[in-house]
Amino acid sequence: MKNVKTILGATLAAAILALASCKKDPVPDPQPQTGEVNIEFEHAWGPDFKPFRFDTALVHPTTKDTLTFQHLRYYITNIRLQRTDGSWWAQDESYYLVDASTATGSLLKLSGVPAGEYKALSYMLGVDSARNVSGAQSGFLSPTYGMYWPWTGYINIRAEGISTTSPTKAFTYHLGGYSGADNTVRTLSYNFTDQNLRCTPTGKPQIHMKVNTARFWHGGIKTADIHTIHAPGPNAVTLATNFAGAFVFDHVHN
Amino acid sequence: MYITDFLRKKTGFLLFLPLLAGCGREPETSVKAGPELPPHFPAPVYQAVQNPYSEAGIELGKALFHEPMLSRDGSVSCGTCHDQVHAFADHNVPLSMGVGGAIGKRNAPPVQNVIWYKHFMWDGSIRHIEVMPIAPITEPLEMAANWDTLLTRLRASEKYRNLFFKAFGSEQIDDQKMLKALAQYMATLVSAGSRYDAYVQGKGSLAPDELQGLELFRVQCASCHTEPLFTDQSFVNNGLDVVSADIGRMLITRKEEDRGSFKVPSLRNVSLTYPYMHDGRFRTLEQVLDHYTSDKSDKPLADARVRDMRLSPEEKRALIAFLRTLTDYDFVSNPKHALR
Repeated sequence: MKNVKTILGATLAAAILALASCKKDPVPDPQPQTGEVNIEFEHAWGPDFKPFRFDTALVHPTTKDTLTFQHLRYYITNIRLQRTDGSWWAQDESYYLVDASTATGSLLKLSGVPAGEYKALSYMLGVDSARNVSGAQSGFLSPTYGMYWPWTGYINIRAEGISTTSPTKAFTYHLGGYSGADNTVRTLSYNFTDQNLRCTPTGKPQIHMKVNTARFWHGGIKTADIHTIHAPGPNAVTLATNFAGAFVFDHVHN
Repeated sequence: MYITDFLRKKTGFLLFLPLLAGCGREPETSVKAGPELPPHFPAPVYQAVQNPYSEAGIELGKALFHEPMLSRDGSVSCGTCHDQVHAFADHNVPLSMGVGGAIGKRNAPPVQNVIWYKHFMWDGSIRHIEVMPIAPITEPLEMAANWDTLLTRLRASEKYRNLFFKAFGSEQIDDQKMLKALAQYMATLVSAGSRYDAYVQGKGSLAPDELQGLELFRVQCASCHTEPLFTDQSFVNNGLDVVSADIGRMLITRKEEDRGSFKVPSLRNVSLTYPYMHDGRFRTLEQVLDHYTSDKSDKPLADARVRDMRLSPEEKRALIAFLRTLTDYDFVSNPKHALR
């Protein structure tokens, strides 16, 4: 019995040593202060941000196509915040799927953000190439969300709806592709032009972004010409670039 | 039951920790689970970095592989079209039947030696073994499943709650664990026990005609069907059609020169996996060799390596005698791969 205890004790000690040796900072600062930061995506229509609603016919400001959204989801990933000294904080496991059909689906809650002042935001629109080729994923990267094709990787942006001028009477844009000329992932950065974001343990500061959903058809794209995208390629790249231009920083409130 | 499993897991954890050379590695719950790596094979592509092998994980994967609940109407499992007796290919049909009698588009390949493959499917569209099953499970012509329904069924099953607990230490069932377990099981489907393997390892002999066939093979076939996997994993137009109805690899690359190109299939267990080609058009190995020695001057996209093959009838017989030595009878009958 004593022997068993000795062996167990030695094993435990070795285990603790092994564990300790794995940590890069053995003694971090006592409980670094963190807080919550929210990012809100307000979906709007056109460059003057008119109200945007699902299941509502909207006339495109330049092409004059009539478009009725039934589905709009996209990945926001690899979120980073820039401190006032220029260095960046990067969120771990930073993968969100925005669902524009609901307010909660359009609000990203970041917890564990180090307390401090931040002057800029950066994120990827789409899922980085590494996670496209790393096997079975979880969370928002689960294939159960219908945003993943095992043969082309993640559908970074998925927009669907009705358009009377389309030959199929619909628009179906599944924008994916993560490598080379087919890459539809876009890295976007925004300076907080009004005030710095102040993250504290108690406050819940918010970054307010506006999203011009009419941007898919930027450059005069009509649903008569591009109505169905189901695979990576030039059309997916064009529309992803267009939609990346939909995001506009609006304001921070602390 | 649960508690003993839990304790065994925890004890294993403590005992293994001091032995870990590097950091960030998951402890193994059993002595040595996972695929047996043949000494004459290269290092596997799939290293299961985020998916440490365990006996319980492999058992779960095996159950899932043979589970008809994964299909929409509960009529077919992975194993329906990938049966061990045919080296985990279908039952000698050109195209496979999915739910509701739907017929698939391409011949079901054998599931063997998958951890050495860089890509999957005839067009190489899938690049990771863990996500490979998503395609047949959700494809309308195959298992046609809906994820929510499928996961609800598994969660309602006491058998699967137990199997997931044993494999992952939690009764929580999700798609990621399911796919990882399937990958663990498929990883163990290693075929390297044929008479050819015994011969190249100096443990067995081949008959004179088989040896003649091996020599011919190395000259005429091995540039694509490279040993020891018997595929170089490239995409080749082997001159089947003037204009291929199935564009093959071009579906992925959108390059005209890839029209009608398909992944070079492994020839391991080839005698058990007829019919041949992406559409299963040839029923016999004789027909396949007749195709390779046929004139391809009207097939502009045919690869240079299949253009000038010349084989006498006697050489064809020898080649086929050799190809039959690639049958791995242990692989197709070993009870460890079968659902008990």
